[in-house]
Amino acid sequence: MMKFLQPTAILLLTAFSLPASAGDPVYPVCAIPAALKENAHVVKRTEEYTVDIRDLRDVRVTKHYVYTVLDAAGADDAIMLEYYGKLREIRSVEGILYDADGKQVKRMKQADVKDLSAVDNGSLMTDTRKKFHSFFHSVYPFTVEYRVEIRYNCTNQLPVWVPQEEYDCTVQQSSLTVTAPAGFELRYHTYLYNGEPATSSDKGIKTYIWQVKDIPAMKKEAFAEEFYKRTPSVFLAPGEFEIEDYKGRMNTWKDFGNFIYHLNQGRDVLPDNIKQKVHQLTDALPAREDKINSLYKYMQQNYRYISIQLGIGGWQTFDATTVAAKGYGDCKALSNFMMAMLKEAGISSNCVLVKSGDGVTSLREDFPSPQFDHEILCIPGAKDTMWLECTSNTLPVGYLSAFTANRPVLVIDSAASKLVRTPDYNMDYNLQQTSITATIDEAGNIHVNSHTMRTGMQQDGLHERLHTLSEEKQLEELREGLDLASYDIVSHKYKEEPGIKPAIEEQLEINGHNYATVTGKRMFVAPNILNRNSLRLEEETARKSPIRFNHAYRDIDTVKITVPAGYRLESLPAPVSLKNQFGVYTAVTEMKGNTISYIRKIEHKAGTFPVTDFADLVKFYNTIYRSDRNRLVLVKE
Amino acid sequence: MNMYCKRALLTLLLGCLFVTIFAQDRTKIKFGKIDKSEFALGRFEKDTGAHAIVLSAIGSSTFESDGAELRLVYKVHRRIKIVDKNGYDLATVKVWLYKDGSEEEKLSNVKAAAYNLENGEIVETKIDSKSIFTDKQSKNIVTKKFAIPAVKEGTIIEYTYTISSPYYQYLRSWEFQGEYPALWSEYTVTIPEYFDYVFINQGYEKFVIQTKESSIGHFTLRGEKEAAYGKTSEIFSVSPGITTYKWALKDVPPIRDESFITTTDNYTRKIEFQLSAYNWPGQPSKPVRTTWAKLMEDLQKSESFGKQLTNNNNFLSDKVSELTKDTKSDKEKAEKIYVWVRDNYTCTDHTALWCEGDRTLKTLFNSKSGNVAEINLLLIAMLKKAGLEAYPVILSTRDNGYVYPYYPLLSRFNYTIAAVMTDGELTRLDASRPLLGFGRLPASCYNGDARVVDEQGTVMPLATDSLKEQKFTSVFISKIADGNIEGSFQQRPTYFESYRIRQEIKEKSQDEYFKKIVKGYTSEISLSEKEIEGLTDLGNPLMVKYSFKLNAGNSDVLYINPLFGEAYKHNPFKSMERSFPVEMEAVYDEVYSLNLEIPEGYVVDEMPKPAIAKYNEEEGLFQYLIQQQQDHIQLRCRVKLTKANFQPEEYASLREFFDLIVKKQAEQIVLKKKSKA
Repeated sequence: MMKFLQPTAILLLTAFSLPASAGDPVYPVCAIPAALKENAHVVKRTEEYTVDIRDLRDVRVTKHYVYTVLDAAGADDAIMLEYYGKLREIRSVEGILYDADGKQVKRMKQADVKDLSAVDNGSLMTDTRKKFHSFFHSVYPFTVEYRVEIRYNCTNQLPVWVPQEEYDCTVQQSSLTVTAPAGFELRYHTYLYNGEPATSSDKGIKTYIWQVKDIPAMKKEAFAEEFYKRTPSVFLAPGEFEIEDYKGRMNTWKDFGNFIYHLNQGRDVLPDNIKQKVHQLTDALPAREDKINSLYKYMQQNYRYISIQLGIGGWQTFDATTVAAKGYGDCKALSNFMMAMLKEAGISSNCVLVKSGDGVTSLREDFPSPQFDHEILCIPGAKDTMWLECTSNTLPVGYLSAFTANRPVLVIDSAASKLVRTPDYNMDYNLQQTSITATIDEAGNIHVNSHTMRTGMQQDGLHERLHTLSEEKQLEELREGLDLASYDIVSHKYKEEPGIKPAIEEQLEINGHNYATVTGKRMFVAPNILNRNSLRLEEETARKSPIRFNHAYRDIDTVKITVPAGYRLESLPAPVSLKNQFGVYTAVTEMKGNTISYIRKIEHKAGTFPVTDFADLVKFYNTIYRSDRNRLVLVKE
Repeated sequence: MNMYCKRALLTLLLGCLFVTIFAQDRTKIKFGKIDKSEFALGRFEKDTGAHAIVLSAIGSSTFESDGAELRLVYKVHRRIKIVDKNGYDLATVKVWLYKDGSEEEKLSNVKAAAYNLENGEIVETKIDSKSIFTDKQSKNIVTKKFAIPAVKEGTIIEYTYTISSPYYQYLRSWEFQGEYPALWSEYTVTIPEYFDYVFINQGYEKFVIQTKESSIGHFTLRGEKEAAYGKTSEIFSVSPGITTYKWALKDVPPIRDESFITTTDNYTRKIEFQLSAYNWPGQPSKPVRTTWAKLMEDLQKSESFGKQLTNNNNFLSDKVSELTKDTKSDKEKAEKIYVWVRDNYTCTDHTALWCEGDRTLKTLFNSKSGNVAEINLLLIAMLKKAGLEAYPVILSTRDNGYVYPYYPLLSRFNYTIAAVMTDGELTRLDASRPLLGFGRLPASCYNGDARVVDEQGTVMPLATDSLKEQKFTSVFISKIADGNIEGSFQQRPTYFESYRIRQEIKEKSQDEYFKKIVKGYTSEISLSEKEIEGLTDLGNPLMVKYSFKLNAGNSDVLYINPLFGEAYKHNPFKSMERSFPVEMEAVYDEVYSLNLEIPEGYVVDEMPKPAIAKYNEEEGLFQYLIQQQQDHIQLRCRVKLTKANFQPEEYASLREFFDLIVKKQAEQIVLKKKSKA
């Protein structure tokens, strides 16, 4: 084992804690067990991750890791990348490059560490920056070793340990060591970690050690759970914590929510002109619902989303006066502002913390800790709770979209913060109903009139298109987006019906060139014109993850196609009907005279399904894929 | 070609007529002086899509003294009507500033405001200086940014700022045309006689103002003077002649993107500048890059370019002798060195003409990463060290727009490659991409004329029309039985397609690549004897081979598409109309052949008819030659174009040509079981 000297003066460049000279080879590639090279591009040889909680405003984190890069596909992983800002400081970085034999090639130079802005595209400004280093070595295999020291001057957010960082990264050994004063309440939540950490106490300091060995490569799996649930991982959280001048507790959701409430308390004071505006807009309206509508609309028309996150500003909102003056704010600021306006109108509401996204995201509900990245507003009512997304200038009042619906969220209250669920938009809600009448001519060209009604999440994408693209751009997307060989859009029309269950009606008139294939006396016609499912799945042997679908939906398609007279049916697709735990699919084609009729229905369920159901899912999708492409064959008499 | 474009753009212009309620000349507008009539402006009549309308964009570049030296001062004043929410982005303003060493560009006089019409009155909301953020992007680049407050639909925003710059060689260009329509766009440039600039104008919209006026300027400067006791600083005044140029455009339509295009930048109305001479008083005029030869001389002398090659570069000696030790020819030497540089250096920036900042080849040699120019300069230095004749070649990549052919405008170039002379033959090299073969360039480099950095700046033509990309596919169907079609597939993709396959396999795996092929077939298929030949022979296209067994359903009638997944399933030209030329990556020639053995017990019930179609006489050819000979069906299908670029008015017929291909390639062979007599 290597020994580390504790560097006394960080800025002293000579105070290396990585081995100072090229001695015996330490990490020869030949020492990697064969099993860890399988399906791997990178092997984490060793890692010591230490978290030394000295007090509530001083946490020292040391990451010491050694990667062997087996081939070019792993090159991007063998780097040092750390973020810093007002609440987190990078105190030192060291790095060494070794060749395949484990002989030292060179050391990192401080001048080669790039210092870059880390302001993301979605933000106007944040104080996050990043430091980056790579040896850019390309003689494979090779090994890199880094040691990074970081200081957090707050305890609201503690590090996460996920030793396996990528699918193609295997781990020889890794450990997480946390030390904290005996009085510090350390909470942790683990996935795929057997047993408890080794603990010991010495002179008032308690030590926790987690370690793993020999983690093989992971396979990508369709509709899988989050990555960190599929590999050993440890999440840490404090009981009591500090951030800047604020102290709080997060043992329970209630404590955590109440802290957020107090951090933002008093920031909802409106300037007089906005108070007047609120009364002007709402006083004459008798119904509570109308008042909410009116204020939400006012906010959508006059305020916009701009994200600025500086220091504690990631947790504490701009006050309502600032939002009123600037006309913009982030999700916290706009929710807080809306809450203030509602309050002025005599309606009480709560800010709500959300883990957002329309992909697979889940909250660790039994582990109260800061897991959120978004904020919305809820207005508790006698019957129903109303939900408002305050960063959207276009969503109908009370509708949340796939970005925040169907999930547990934390309602912030002065004393009774708690987890609740946002509305569950089910299959009846997320509906797409299409009816098509079409005519095919002798040459195989098709003329299509289609009418589609989409509701709930099924209209999210279209809503976005209609509200962000110009009409020219919308037409351009229509001209390029349909799964037809060659076609022109003759006309298109949309009608929106906003509401808690928003709907958009779409009418399209399309000329499809050579839609039906005409070869000699035969004509080939696919009755499913516009709704062919494009997903196919492969059998996965030894699948590990349960199957997850966040949202349920239903599609109903009714198609009538008139073909030229004089054709007789030679071959008709057999009816398909499939029903299993994932849902229902039926497709029936018929022909009477010279009219083809086709009816297709999909009901797709949401939920978590056991690993063992995967074969059924493959069958479900692949049946749909093939059935959606079935064709009739007609022969000219 | 230009005439064609003009016509296309004219149509675009007619399509964007709007109500103009402004006086001709917006030059006199003052910050903060908003007229209520400006709010009355709605959407364009026929372009309902504009999310914002630029009411006026006024810029100027002048020279001013900062008390000691002349600074190039750029001022901009924009007034924009935000039509709807999707125009909000325009209210977030970012200004990029450059710095190096002790010199830097400085931003000042930032003013920004939003104007809203409330109860018939204009309400102004100004930005406060605390809301201007500074974001240090990297060592050389800083962005200043701010969000204008109180923006809603119908708001008029306005901002102005000044950049004072020590970089005379960087006189900012002006784009009169952009994503949003502009009612007025104007640029004024005032140049003292001390400097000569060349102006490069492009685009088709007509200027409504284009003037040139002369006057006398007055500057107070501080200079050094030889005195009895050494140098002293002295303040002095100068009154050079100055010339003021002004251009303005009115009612400018927006530029829209299209597919199959190099970049719409090539068609945008803009004006650019290149410093061509210093004329200091009492000194002879000092030209800066007025000819290609002069530009090349400057490049050769530049610390960030040619100097790196003329330096001794002794640190390369050992490596070069090691690499060339056992080589027998110059070409072999060159290839050895190329491969070593390519395989050992990581390119971190594919847009670069020269070395970044004060980096040298020696730093690069040790740090193992650099931009494309650095890597190729290193390659050239090593080739030279090996005694070979090698040159840098500068070019503009497709997404960077065309190079200006009539004047050596360095700012149009963005990429440096290498060229090596062996046995009287010049080979082009780019060592910045690990999967590129010796003598090959990425597709993005084929964008017209490149320039060899030699004495004359010799032209190196890299036209797409000269880049032939061929693809051969052959399919043998050997057995049809029990509802399965069995056969073998062989394909030699084009070079660029081979490059993409190599990349895919490097990033994922060969297994994943074949899985994708399986997914490409609608029917159930299983592959065997999967093989990719020439995966490591990077200079040449590879060869994909596999045998397949395809489920065709067990019925008395078999329907077989003879193209087996190789058909054009969609017309690549989707849109009905076209404003700009179609500019493809290369000239394509694709040949597909099929040999199908009719299974025993089956007869051909129907077969597509042979067909030949020509596009524009000899510019395109589609062949579909099919015939039955005893128990074999043979098909040869070819799609061939003889050029890569097509004018907008050729578009409709090009689209039709591909419609025909899609239609013909969808046709089926029908086999029927013989009825048992």
